[in-house]
Amino acid sequence: MSKPSDLIQGTLDLLILRTISLAPMHGWAIAKRIEQVSQDALQITQGALYPALHRLEQQGWIRAAWRKTETGREAKFYEMTKAGRAQLSKELAQWERLSHAVGLVIRMAEE
Amino acid sequence: MSLRRYWDIARMRLRTLARRDRVDQELDRELHFHLEQQTEENLAAGMTPSQARLAALRRLGGVTQIEEECRDMRRTNYIENFWRDLQYGLRTLRKSPGFTTVILLTLALAIGANSAIFSVIDGVLLRPLPYPGADRIVRIFFHSTVFPKFPLNPFDFRDFRTRLKSFESMAGFTRGDLRLSGAGRPEQFTGFRITAGYFHVLGLAPARGREFNASDEIAGNGQSVILSDRMWRTRLAADPNILGRKITLDAQPFTVVGVMPPGTEHPGNAYHGVANGETVDLWWPFTFRGDPNQRGSHYLEVMARMKPGISAPRAQAEMNAVMAQMRHEHPGALEGWQARVVPLYQEIVGPSERLLLVLLGAVGLVVLIACANAANLLLARATARQREVAVRTALGAGRSRLVQQMLTESLLIALMGGALALAVAAAGVRILVAMLPAGFPRASAIHLNAAVFAFTLLIALATGFLFGLAPALQAARADVQDALRAGSRGAGSHRGHLRLRNGLVVGEVSLACLLLIGAGLMLRSFVKLLRTDPGFRTEHLLTATVSLPDKTYKPAEAPRFWDRLSASLSSVAGIRAAGVGTDLPWTGYDENIGGFLIEGQKAPPGQDFHGRYHAAGPDYFRAVGIPLVRGRFFTAQDGMKAPPVMIINQSMARRYWHGQDAVGGRISFDDHPKESDWLTVVGVVGDVKDRPTSPEAENAFWWPIDQSPVYVNQMSVAVRGSSDPAFLANDLRQAVRQLDPTLAVADIRPMDDIADANISTPRFALFLVALFAGLALTLAAIGIYGVISYAVNQRTREFGLRMALGAQAGDVLVLVLRQGAKLALLGVALGLIGALAFGRVLGSLLYEVRAADPATFAAVAIGATTVAALACYLPARRATTVDPSHALRSE
Repeated sequence: MSKPSDLIQGTLDLLILRTISLAPMHGWAIAKRIEQVSQDALQITQGALYPALHRLEQQGWIRAAWRKTETGREAKFYEMTKAGRAQLSKELAQWERLSHAVGLVIRMAEE
Repeated sequence: MSLRRYWDIARMRLRTLARRDRVDQELDRELHFHLEQQTEENLAAGMTPSQARLAALRRLGGVTQIEEECRDMRRTNYIENFWRDLQYGLRTLRKSPGFTTVILLTLALAIGANSAIFSVIDGVLLRPLPYPGADRIVRIFFHSTVFPKFPLNPFDFRDFRTRLKSFESMAGFTRGDLRLSGAGRPEQFTGFRITAGYFHVLGLAPARGREFNASDEIAGNGQSVILSDRMWRTRLAADPNILGRKITLDAQPFTVVGVMPPGTEHPGNAYHGVANGETVDLWWPFTFRGDPNQRGSHYLEVMARMKPGISAPRAQAEMNAVMAQMRHEHPGALEGWQARVVPLYQEIVGPSERLLLVLLGAVGLVVLIACANAANLLLARATARQREVAVRTALGAGRSRLVQQMLTESLLIALMGGALALAVAAAGVRILVAMLPAGFPRASAIHLNAAVFAFTLLIALATGFLFGLAPALQAARADVQDALRAGSRGAGSHRGHLRLRNGLVVGEVSLACLLLIGAGLMLRSFVKLLRTDPGFRTEHLLTATVSLPDKTYKPAEAPRFWDRLSASLSSVAGIRAAGVGTDLPWTGYDENIGGFLIEGQKAPPGQDFHGRYHAAGPDYFRAVGIPLVRGRFFTAQDGMKAPPVMIINQSMARRYWHGQDAVGGRISFDDHPKESDWLTVVGVVGDVKDRPTSPEAENAFWWPIDQSPVYVNQMSVAVRGSSDPAFLANDLRQAVRQLDPTLAVADIRPMDDIADANISTPRFALFLVALFAGLALTLAAIGIYGVISYAVNQRTREFGLRMALGAQAGDVLVLVLRQGAKLALLGVALGLIGALAFGRVLGSLLYEVRAADPATFAAVAIGATTVAALACYLPARRATTVDPSHALRSE
């Protein structure tokens, strides 16, 4: 059974961490935000999102709490932990390195 | 990483485990919220409420699957699943008691046998010797081209002790039994004469008193003795003031200077050997007497403790270097000898190592076969459960989840089997220890202990994994649609499945053949051993040892005593012959003398004339049943003053007289013999080997007791009757008592017992290997039966069709048998090839049988094939009774 996601797992983690690094958010908002920011290029399916959230929570990088939304409904909000922040900066650095390297290779191939 | 994070993680997992309902509920709420948000968005986009909800649901996908995955992410679900699988497994096992019984019994027997053998290996081979720093203790021997391990001369030992730098301490010991006279019948105790530092070498210290020191080694300093704990308790009433007390041993006063603690084990010795274990009752000082320049007699066994960092080969090299110096100082004395340093561990357990490893290999094969059988049973059941698996897969169970469930079940079965196996092992160990061959080292160290429990657990887990893996993967690979679509039999689609089962059966048969061939070879050699003429007659023969104290029997008086004892025994009704000799066959006697002269012959350079020396009275050979080949036995006329004579054995006659008549030949033990120094050979007697398993008989000769140059104050008595020899024991005791009431009669045993002890090792090995082979064959037969019966079930329709089209019952029978025969023959062929490759490991356990014995191979091939055919016959018969109309209608 393949994962219903086109994103590499690590990348999804990075996107989630980055998204909630600004403010605590619930799952639906996280998916929406990623879609908006990426101008609908990245569609996160729920089948990938929720397992990822639970995984990140298990690893102690994010914390969850039930809070009221602006519309007054109960939702599970996720927020960064301190370890999560450290992890995010580590993964960001790694991503930069990787995308830079990939970019180099692609440009070389074009020439 | 911060501690805080670990704390978070731990709390999280704990919560997931402890409050599973709550967590699941939250997950539900979370997904529900998501769904609502999506629906709202869809409504906003202008959909009708029902459209909006449907689209949101579609977008979300399988809720159950998301939930399952989220649980996966929480990790702890492994534990939850495991628990659920365990309960499910137990339920399934309870539902099929036949299956459960067969599989548990198979595993219990196989694993139990392994644990039992392992407990022997643990006690004998793995446990360190009961001496502190035992890895530094070595035994020291001389060796030459003729003698692999020879004791040392005391003065050579003393020189080594002062010169060698490799050793922290060095000690010599030699057998010296003593009689304790007191109230009642005098009794003989196993004793050793030991040099100073003997216990220091072993790393032991007396519980009371002291061990011997250098002054005890000086003759005339008064006799002292160290007692074993057992002797102190049973003979001296555990007297707390024992130190300094005088006790009378061999009619002499001995001062007790020490008592050893319980658990003081004798390291075992070769010369006048006493088995390893708590076998020694007392120790007394070895004293250096006689001329230090006379170094021909070798009887001191030597042991040493190496300094830290010194290895046995290095110690041996140093010893040989020192020996070269000593050769200069004492020309001739050390000619032809080399030093040999053997680690004590190797000396004690070395001879049993191969036997034990072969047995471990044999039970290992049995457990493999049991695994194959269990896998086969599980596969058969997996077929029955295929639809269940298919349904679960269709409902979203992941492949790995299925494998996990299957493995949990097989591990559960294995662990239950393992628990039963412990009961089998407990009984097995008791039986094993009771059956151990005579003189088996360290038997007292064999117990079921934590190591054995751990081993059993390990084997159980390993077997569970092994036999569970194949069916689990097989089940997981099964095609869902195929299985769901197939008819109620779930038939047809698993060719791979059948291939795997066939492969397992072929493997089982081949392993069983391997074991059968091992057992067959051992059986053949055992029968050969029994059929070999021992060279004497064991039946109706009673043996004993009588020793005369030096104090009361001067060298010249001892022969008189033996003459009178023989005469008095011969006159007892019911005794057909009674004789006295230095030793009895097959008791480990190994006295040697070399360098004598044979008239008219010259020994080849470097190869002295040599032979086992013995002394015997006139009726000794008749009593023991050693036949006269040429010449005559000794008579009463071969007295002290008569012309010196000797009797030799056939081997010596053949080797030194080269087919010519040895009777009349002459031998001298003097380098420059006068006419009176020559001994004339008057008789040649039949050969008796040292042990029944010895490759050939040693040279041997006998002096008449009256003319013996060696002391004859301890002799073996052989009394031949005409029925059960046990009845002669009283006559023997009485005859001795009449001559001297202070004497003890020791080691009263029928010769049959001695003979029996000598073949106990091959018998033990044969019994166990045959038992394992039988078990293996039974398991393999069950395996074949299972596979063929399954195949017959699968082909019921085909058989019905064939019979409807006119096939006879016989045709169907042949069809099924052929299928079984293919598997069996392939297995047998592989087994035979394996046996050819591995037969050599049996090596020394075989006697006059080659590892590639054609008769054994043929018998096993035929036997195994026959058993396999029988196992196929039952299902084949069932196939012939298929009712065509019924079979055709059944699907």
